[in-house]
Amino acid sequence: MGRRSGSAVHAVIVLVGFLALLPGPDALAQTPKRGGVLRIADREAPNLDPHLAVSFLTHSWASMVYSQLVRFPYGPEQKHPADFAIVPDLAEKWKYESPTSVVFTLRKGVRFHNKPPVDGREVTADDVKYSVERFMAKSGFRSRLEPVQSVEVVDRYSVRMTLKEPYAPLLNHLANAAYVVILPREVEEKLKDFNRPEAMIGTGPFMVKSYQKGVQIAFERNPDYFMKGVPYLDGVVIEITPDSTARVSLLRAGKVDLGHMWGYLAPEEAKSVKQTNPEIVMTPVVTIGQGMIYMRSDQPPFNDVRVRRAMALAIDRTGWNDSVLYGEGCTDAGPVPCAMKEWKLEASKIEPAKAKYLVGYDPVEAKRLLAEAGHRNGFTTPMFHWPGYAPPWRTYFDLAGDNLGKIGVAVEFKPEEYGKYISTTYLGKYEKMAMGPITPFTEVDDWLYSAFFPEQPNNRSHVADAELNKMLLAQRREMDPKKRLAIVHDIQRYLADKAYYVYTPHSPQYVSHVPAVKGMKYHDGFGLGPRLMFTWLDK
Amino acid sequence: MRPYVLRRLALAVPTLGLVSVIVFSIMRLMPGDVVIRMVEGHAYAPTIDALRRELGLDRPAWVQYADWIGGIVLRGDFGTSFWTRQPIWDEFIQRFPVTLELAALTILASVVIGVLVGIVSAIRQDSAADYLGRVLAILALSVPYFGLAVLVVVLPSIYFKWTPIWTYVPLSTSPLENLKIMLVPALVFGVTRAGPIMRIMRSALLDILRQDYIRTAWSKGLPERAIVLRHALKNALIPVVSLIGLQTPLYIGGSVIIEAIFRLPGVGLFFFEALTRLDYPVVQSVNLIIATMVVGLNLAIDLSYAFLDPRIRYR
Repeated sequence: MGRRSGSAVHAVIVLVGFLALLPGPDALAQTPKRGGVLRIADREAPNLDPHLAVSFLTHSWASMVYSQLVRFPYGPEQKHPADFAIVPDLAEKWKYESPTSVVFTLRKGVRFHNKPPVDGREVTADDVKYSVERFMAKSGFRSRLEPVQSVEVVDRYSVRMTLKEPYAPLLNHLANAAYVVILPREVEEKLKDFNRPEAMIGTGPFMVKSYQKGVQIAFERNPDYFMKGVPYLDGVVIEITPDSTARVSLLRAGKVDLGHMWGYLAPEEAKSVKQTNPEIVMTPVVTIGQGMIYMRSDQPPFNDVRVRRAMALAIDRTGWNDSVLYGEGCTDAGPVPCAMKEWKLEASKIEPAKAKYLVGYDPVEAKRLLAEAGHRNGFTTPMFHWPGYAPPWRTYFDLAGDNLGKIGVAVEFKPEEYGKYISTTYLGKYEKMAMGPITPFTEVDDWLYSAFFPEQPNNRSHVADAELNKMLLAQRREMDPKKRLAIVHDIQRYLADKAYYVYTPHSPQYVSHVPAVKGMKYHDGFGLGPRLMFTWLDK
Repeated sequence: MRPYVLRRLALAVPTLGLVSVIVFSIMRLMPGDVVIRMVEGHAYAPTIDALRRELGLDRPAWVQYADWIGGIVLRGDFGTSFWTRQPIWDEFIQRFPVTLELAALTILASVVIGVLVGIVSAIRQDSAADYLGRVLAILALSVPYFGLAVLVVVLPSIYFKWTPIWTYVPLSTSPLENLKIMLVPALVFGVTRAGPIMRIMRSALLDILRQDYIRTAWSKGLPERAIVLRHALKNALIPVVSLIGLQTPLYIGGSVIIEAIFRLPGVGLFFFEALTRLDYPVVQSVNLIIATMVVGLNLAIDLSYAFLDPRIRYR
């Protein structure tokens, strides 16, 4: 081989090596592009004050505009859809001085949106103190910060929160977009209240551009957002569409990029849309959520654990999942939801003799347990419920009636009007038995303490179990994450055969959007803003 | 005429008073608690009590009623929404033009379709056109408008990837864009409301066409067009106008669903959302405002009889 040909070979090798180092077409396609306006069809927020409202719609809108002290990871930061690790938001760091005292250090130079009367002023510790105290005084969710004793300004960029007792859920609650967003303290005084679009002044990734009540709200990129390079979108428009059928039609017709703020389509809807619009991108996800049969465990016949166990064994979860959820649901749905991977102790890791009351199906054993409890001929029970829940709930109510009938428990269906249901049955004010889904939470304490501790409104089964109470209190006071996890696992082991609730398979949602939407990773939190700040349009 | 108008106006006061009492009572009798509804699954006792106090729901019912009605009568204050915390009158006035326009276009569509088909059906009695008209009338009567609305929205989106839903543009901003948005909902709603008009128009016109004065007109050699349009139609329209008057609350009631499906930010949607959220002040005040309008409209219709039929005179 001569010198020339040797050089040519070298040149080819270098060229091939260079080409190999270049990003491929797929990688190029995944490089975020700036620009474009994302259109979403969804319902209207009833109120714009993020502390006064308890609606997830308000909190989703607010999360576009406001920041928090800390937040959950979204987009490329998140490991999975229910990743509730704590990452910095306005606070760049935080330090526990003791189990009952934590100091947050704010980022310097973060400015509110450049709108009157705040005019781009820097965020300081006073705004944080004002916001936390306002939340604790006014919010419907204020019990979340009930253990907080005081908030004090240490210096311009530091705030100390002092607690009455150690409280492990604190950071998760502060990171939940539904709770303590940081507001500029002068707005309430100068604009009267936060319930107006011109008062939506925060430090979030987007700013309110316009709001036509009942028609649409338009957001534009915050050019001074403290995270450099994001958001990618120029703006986001939420087309207010109260009717779910109309939302799906808008998605089908390509008039919106997302037919829902999370992009949800129920499995049946998704399969129908896929037939007419095969181009729509759909990702089935098991969301955080739970549905169950709840029973008055303080009243006969459900105060007998054998009866509750019989109820648990009567439900054919696998059959429901296969027939109604196309086999895509989660059958091990409680007491900690399937999606909360960090906290969940799967039934397969619990002693089988106990785990069967969470996931098993054994009508023969159920009948035997009923007979042992003195109900050889079964009994009749009402089942209070709201029939208006989206699919698969109407089918679930029928299936529950059918399954329970097979072991001799005759179900009298008691459908209720929503207003009555939500203010009575949903809060545990019912007789004997009821059924339905419950509001999703991001903190494991809400699935345990709120659902099982006496006098809690979400304790729908009226559980009063002294041994359990000790563990419930211990997990919320344990500041060491590993030790807390161990207690949470102990609680799940303990609860397995108590059958206080009979959990039903959890339905997946299909996160659906037009193909041009990229980088939108599904997250179970209420943070629409941070979710969309990593989203971009390939148009 | 004037004493009649004054007497009718005086009668309207107890009517509206009764409406206010009924609406107020019905809202309180509805199952469910608005305060708990507002905090849903997160109802913690201190919040519930505080919220109830803040909304004034801890006071006796008669005090709440007196406060509400007193505000309207003495200060023209219709109250504030529990949920949005915005003055009800402001939101009503902002939304009313949408519902008014929808109602006007719906009435126009239903009258044009109903009267035309009714006339053809009557003057060509027992012909193929008459049978077709009567079948259409029965069809329009039996198809629920909300079902038709859903079909009109969903089917084109499935088969043509198109749907007649747009972002609402006010009439004052762009009349053409506005008409594009309002036309389909008004037609959908109008077609289903045209059924009764068609039926009434046909029977009234048939009745009139058999009257002596029409026979006289025929015998004078007047053309059919002149007989029908100039002599018969005006009298035959009286029951049609009455029917439209009676249907007015239906136009408002129907706007609830039509506005929700077609994304129209009108009063119907405002009312419906308030009802589902147990927003007492909104439901009460909107009901009272609409009732006032219906009473006023019925009065106007009564007076219009004098114009349509000069034999009708008031003492």
